[in-house]
Amino acid sequence: MARRCAAAVALGLAAASAGAVELTMWVMPVTTNAQHDVPDLLAPWLAQHPDVHVRVTVLDWESGWNKITAAAASRRGPDLLELGTTWMPAIAAMGGLEALTPRQLAEVDNGSPYYPELWKTTQVFGRSGVYGLPWYADVRAAFYRTDVFRQAGVDPVQAFASWDAFHAALKKINGQVVAGKHVAALAYAGKNDWNVVHNLAPWIWNAGGDMLSADARHSALSTPQALRAIDFYSSLAVEGLVPSNALEKDSDILEGAWVGGDYGVIFSGPWLMRRIFESPPGSVVRSNFDVAPYPAGPHGHATFFGGSNLAIFKGSRHKAEAWELVKYLGGKAPQVQLALVSSMMPARIDAANDPAWTSRHPAYAKLTAIAADGRAYPPIPAWGPLETVYTKHLGQLAELTSGIADQYSVPAMKALIADTVIEADKVLEEAN
Amino acid sequence: MSGLGLTVSTAARERPKRRRRVDAFPYLLLAPAALMMIIVNLVPIVQGFRMSLLKLNQYTLSQFMDAPFIGLRNYRGVLFDPANPVHSGMLGALRNTALYSLLVTVCAVAIGLGVALLLNREFPGKALARTLLMLPWVVPTYVVGTLWGFMWQRDEGIINHVLVDVLHLMDHKPFWLIGGNTFFAIVIPTVWRAWPVLMLIFLAALQAVPEELYEAARLDGANAWQRFRNITLPSLMPVIVIQVMFQIIDNIYSYNIVAMMFGKGAGYPGEWGDLLMPLLTRQSFSYWRFGEGAAVSFVMMAVMLVFVAVWMRTFRRSMTSEA
Repeated sequence: MARRCAAAVALGLAAASAGAVELTMWVMPVTTNAQHDVPDLLAPWLAQHPDVHVRVTVLDWESGWNKITAAAASRRGPDLLELGTTWMPAIAAMGGLEALTPRQLAEVDNGSPYYPELWKTTQVFGRSGVYGLPWYADVRAAFYRTDVFRQAGVDPVQAFASWDAFHAALKKINGQVVAGKHVAALAYAGKNDWNVVHNLAPWIWNAGGDMLSADARHSALSTPQALRAIDFYSSLAVEGLVPSNALEKDSDILEGAWVGGDYGVIFSGPWLMRRIFESPPGSVVRSNFDVAPYPAGPHGHATFFGGSNLAIFKGSRHKAEAWELVKYLGGKAPQVQLALVSSMMPARIDAANDPAWTSRHPAYAKLTAIAADGRAYPPIPAWGPLETVYTKHLGQLAELTSGIADQYSVPAMKALIADTVIEADKVLEEAN
Repeated sequence: MSGLGLTVSTAARERPKRRRRVDAFPYLLLAPAALMMIIVNLVPIVQGFRMSLLKLNQYTLSQFMDAPFIGLRNYRGVLFDPANPVHSGMLGALRNTALYSLLVTVCAVAIGLGVALLLNREFPGKALARTLLMLPWVVPTYVVGTLWGFMWQRDEGIINHVLVDVLHLMDHKPFWLIGGNTFFAIVIPTVWRAWPVLMLIFLAALQAVPEELYEAARLDGANAWQRFRNITLPSLMPVIVIQVMFQIIDNIYSYNIVAMMFGKGAGYPGEWGDLLMPLLTRQSFSYWRFGEGAAVSFVMMAVMLVFVAVWMRTFRRSMTSEA
């Protein structure tokens, strides 16, 4: 009798395991409680797919890169995963990701629902193939204090209309005393930060320059346009409009200080909205802020566009189910739902214009409008090493602009950029 | 003497006639540890050396150990090619690492020894004082780097507040995380964390010095300095020699404090803040140049092996009770 029962149990287990599929999914901490929020996001899809179970693992941005590259190299990893937009080309070029089939591409209208700049990041520069779907977006904008601008008699619309107007506005608001607090004009991180390159890129684009040459084989930082942008950006610190003590801090600290009322303007992303609304209800900044595009340069007011994509791992044994889940998460409703819990912008144009997102606060609608000028880095596999080179060298601008190592000068800046270009070109040379 | 020589010589002649009995039991006891050493140390070292001979980068990582073999080209690149990204900044990091290791070791050993001498006497609350003094050592290095990163901030940091606002030692608040002061910003927290454990080790060693030696010295009229120089220091010398060596090795391989203080690994500490290990990590792993990274690691390991061999040979006598 006991033997018969054991056999029945074994058969039952075998039947159950034959029918059930377990997907493993790696995500980054997209919300403050991703281990809880991501399964919530998956719940409607799982209800329609009772035979599928999803095991979610939340990586962190510091160690995630090593884990993903190790998985790609060994071909042993999850079924589907989130990848930063600048990571995706590298992992795809390693052969770690499954390219979407023409049928799958047709199912998502060949990417037309997504912001084209983000869709570009699902591919590898100069090659054919699409390796995933955009999931959410990081779009940068100027967050400014309306009360400080008002007190200084600065019209925000004019202030962001040109670099000169922005410069003049910063001079007016610098040192304003609001609620007993001296407000510094602008905050940006100097060197101890992963945003060094993202902070500078829009200024270079808006001056008509670029991060790379058109064929992505050389660094373009030494072009006159890029040098002009770097000089303007640096001069804001040299003139004291960015206080020198900001240059030793990272973005996280500076954003906290901006929410605390220390600065008039900061360039940041949609996650700052969450931080603003987490501040005490009576805080000055909470009821006195607005969002504006990057100050228009000679060639427009583009902004940095990044975020994350979803992809199917090459080694997955459940690619069909993984694709169904990727496609679901790339849909409008889940993207809106994720945006509401994460404060990251949807990567789909229709989701970013959904009232559930845009009506939360006027600033969200403005972020959506600003995203129309979003620009992503060229999706080259070597972007990771290149960004490290840029971060290392451009961070050294802080040594010049803080006024303690050397006094800032255009020749000194150009020498620094020349060193950057030599090292960057070496990295790019090996990639080609 | 000649009799002894004769005895040895006779024994040597007789030895081949007897079959040597080998006791396998000690080898059996050692075998698990030896096997673990081979698995944990030797295999990765051999694999690392093999990696240092391969063109192992972002584009060949999927081939891993089958990546193209390029002989010693990685070593030539990282050591002599100024355009090599891994080589970039290496001389500065080498200079900083040498000065950092020297300064941290000297300061940590001096403070550790000084406090151990102070604690090597009876006074009320001694156990409590010893426990409290150990607190810096129990703080993980990652936390030390993060906390001191906040403390060094120019306007909000407590260090400038104490130096300028409380003690009035300076007329302005200096930068610690930008410019040349970054060197001191990494040295001081490392010393702060390192000396307590040295103090504990020296204290244990001090308590093993026979009190009779001091009594005899006092009877002979030796003053405190003479007792320290002729009794304490020689008695502690085996411990000091070993601890200095450990400190130098630890400090040359120092990583966490620098990485956490400057952008949690994202940033670049600057010309005076970069050490060899943060440089190696950044320029090998972030640049995906694993073959060259392995080559630098092997150069560092070879230098350390030579250092340890020279150190052990130089201080061999000091490390034994014959000293």
